Amino acid sequence: MSLTLTVDGERWRAHLLATATRSPGIVPVAKGNGYGLTLGRLARRAQWLADHAAETGAPLDLLAIGTYDELGEVTSRYHGDVLVMTPWRPFGAALALDEQAAARVVHTVSRPEDLDALRERHPSARFVLEQLTSMRRHGMTRRELEAAAHALGSARSGLRGVALHLPLGTTSHLGEVSRLVNDVVASGLPTRTIYVSHLTHAEMGQLASRYPDFTIRPRIGTDLWLGDRGALRVTATVLDVHPVERGDVFGYRGRSAPKSGHIVVVSGGTAHGIGLEAPTGDQSLRARAATLARGGMDAAGFVRSPFSIDGKQRLFAEPPHMQASMLFLPSGARTPRVGEQVDVRVRFTATDVDHVVVD
Amino acid sequence: MTTRLTLRPISAQEHRDFIAGQSSASFLQTPAWASVKADWRSESVGWHEGDTLVGVGLVLYRQLPKVKRYLAYLPEGPVIDWAGDDLAAWLTPLVSHLKSSGAFAVRMGPPVVTRRWSAEQVKAGIADPAVRRLGDVPPLERCQEGARVVAQLHELGWQQQGTEGGFAAGQPQFNFQVPLVAEDGSPRTEADVLAGMNQLWRRNIKKADKSGVEVRRGDAGDLEAFHALYAHTAERDHFTPRPLSYFRTMVDALGAEDPDRIQLWLAHHEGDLVAATIAIRVGTHAWYSYGASSTEKREVRGSNAVQWAMIRHALEAGAAVYDLRGITETLDADDPHVGLIQFKVGTGGQAVEHAGEWDLPLNRAIYKAFQVYLARRG
Repeated sequence: MSLTLTVDGERWRAHLLATATRSPGIVPVAKGNGYGLTLGRLARRAQWLADHAAETGAPLDLLAIGTYDELGEVTSRYHGDVLVMTPWRPFGAALALDEQAAARVVHTVSRPEDLDALRERHPSARFVLEQLTSMRRHGMTRRELEAAAHALGSARSGLRGVALHLPLGTTSHLGEVSRLVNDVVASGLPTRTIYVSHLTHAEMGQLASRYPDFTIRPRIGTDLWLGDRGALRVTATVLDVHPVERGDVFGYRGRSAPKSGHIVVVSGGTAHGIGLEAPTGDQSLRARAATLARGGMDAAGFVRSPFSIDGKQRLFAEPPHMQASMLFLPSGARTPRVGEQVDVRVRFTATDVDHVVVD
Repeated sequence: MTTRLTLRPISAQEHRDFIAGQSSASFLQTPAWASVKADWRSESVGWHEGDTLVGVGLVLYRQLPKVKRYLAYLPEGPVIDWAGDDLAAWLTPLVSHLKSSGAFAVRMGPPVVTRRWSAEQVKAGIADPAVRRLGDVPPLERCQEGARVVAQLHELGWQQQGTEGGFAAGQPQFNFQVPLVAEDGSPRTEADVLAGMNQLWRRNIKKADKSGVEVRRGDAGDLEAFHALYAHTAERDHFTPRPLSYFRTMVDALGAEDPDRIQLWLAHHEGDLVAATIAIRVGTHAWYSYGASSTEKREVRGSNAVQWAMIRHALEAGAAVYDLRGITETLDADDPHVGLIQFKVGTGGQAVEHAGEWDLPLNRAIYKAFQVYLARRG
């Protein structure tokens, strides 16, 4: 009776090992809804990857998470250090860490004043400094990094490296990364470790060769956990099927059927994130045209749903409910049985399934 | 920087005096260099803080064909305080002056080091087939000051000129230098410098001495003999020699600034000239500038002998650096340039990367046309 994510376990684990092998210094990212797989599962899997370091040749000593609030979910399942990617601020959950968790956390510091405040509270705190990139979200400018270098001095400090959050690439990131690494050298910071994300495998290779004295560590989330889509399948259960004639009234909103066919009730609704669209990030003309077309269907009362029956995506008969959705199946199409599983195409980062089944 | 800097043309004398007070500056930034580059219009400019001269530059103006617009070029300069974090304060008055003088673009070569490699690292890099370029080898040092200059130039809109492959069109970005002072700044001894050389160099220096090679400093009268050998070398090694008149001008102009600024060195064996070189020194920086060697009698190792004489002279003059000038970035054992690197590496010094040459376009359209013109010229 639920929305289920079925994982082809063997294929998925093989992909995880292959990704780690290909990415020395990898820092797996487990944040938010755990990419649909749940945080706890990813934390356990990160520990599993760490245990297989001899096999992959990629020792795994750090797991990146999104927020301090996520610490509780991962620290009991993963035993190494945890990098919190949301920058530390002198307020909020960052200040409520218990001692045990605090000892395992690597903070992200993105403002010079926060560096002072953090070190004042926790003189032995470990941290990475976030550098401002063209994304302009959080981060320090070159001069701020230099100020941080002065504040740290040459004494042994908790500095673990510099972190960059690059925008999703349309062109090569190498030019920007080269300038940013040069800025790190210019700042005089006593570190040669750079944490980056969203670089292609080829770009990582070029960086490693251009900066042989640096350790470039890739933070990898999507490409690790969801990189082999064929290993993942999301399905909903057919809960009910009702024949309707043109003009028949149905649903919460008393709509009437546009023609004869079936109303198919499936599991999965707004509580799972079904029907709530997150921007896909795809800015191509084609994607924008598709958005417009969807808007048109919406106006006419037909909205394409993410559920597909026999390989064909079906229309919502009305907006999704909290835990179920009603689809309209025109006559002529095969009518699914109650209890049958149908495929659902979801954005994993915006969907909470009821069950994850790993074969 | 609290006081504003102003810039105005200065006399050659003021320019010379300022450089004389510096520990080092590139010889390409001396006013004498302007007379060597006679086909370029030139100007000495000075930065002032109040009435005090705090920096100088030699600007060479190269006119574009048919238009009264110029590329303003400051080779290996200007001579300013590159260590600070306010380059804009220095460059803004320079750029506005050059713009009003008809420049469509400014080109300069900040004399700052960005990376260093030891001779051992370069040697290991050549031996390693996986290493193709110097940059593939972890450097001994990445210099903060150089990186800061690079960062600021990017911020100020300057564009780095490419040096991929062999020598760039302008001054070389990679050079080979032998430090003549220890890390604490104290002068090294001859024995110490010699001990830093590889075995082949030491053996060759000894061999030259045993076989009776005599090295002496020449004067203007020896220039013709130098040039004859240099023309011979050019023919053998397939490069285009500069005419004798070029060297005459160079010796006259640079020699007029300081008797030790430019030196001619000659190595003879039983009356035959086997090697001849030109060395230059400004303050604590000594350069090996031009070299020539005979095809006969290579076994007496005149080239090593004359290099050693120049190094000893530089040490005696209190120089901090003996600069063998450009190398290419390649460490590919199959590249024809690698022999030159190997010769220089034998001195036991360091490969040094400079910030390279940077352009600031002032008139985009003309600058673009200029680049097209350069690309066509090849």
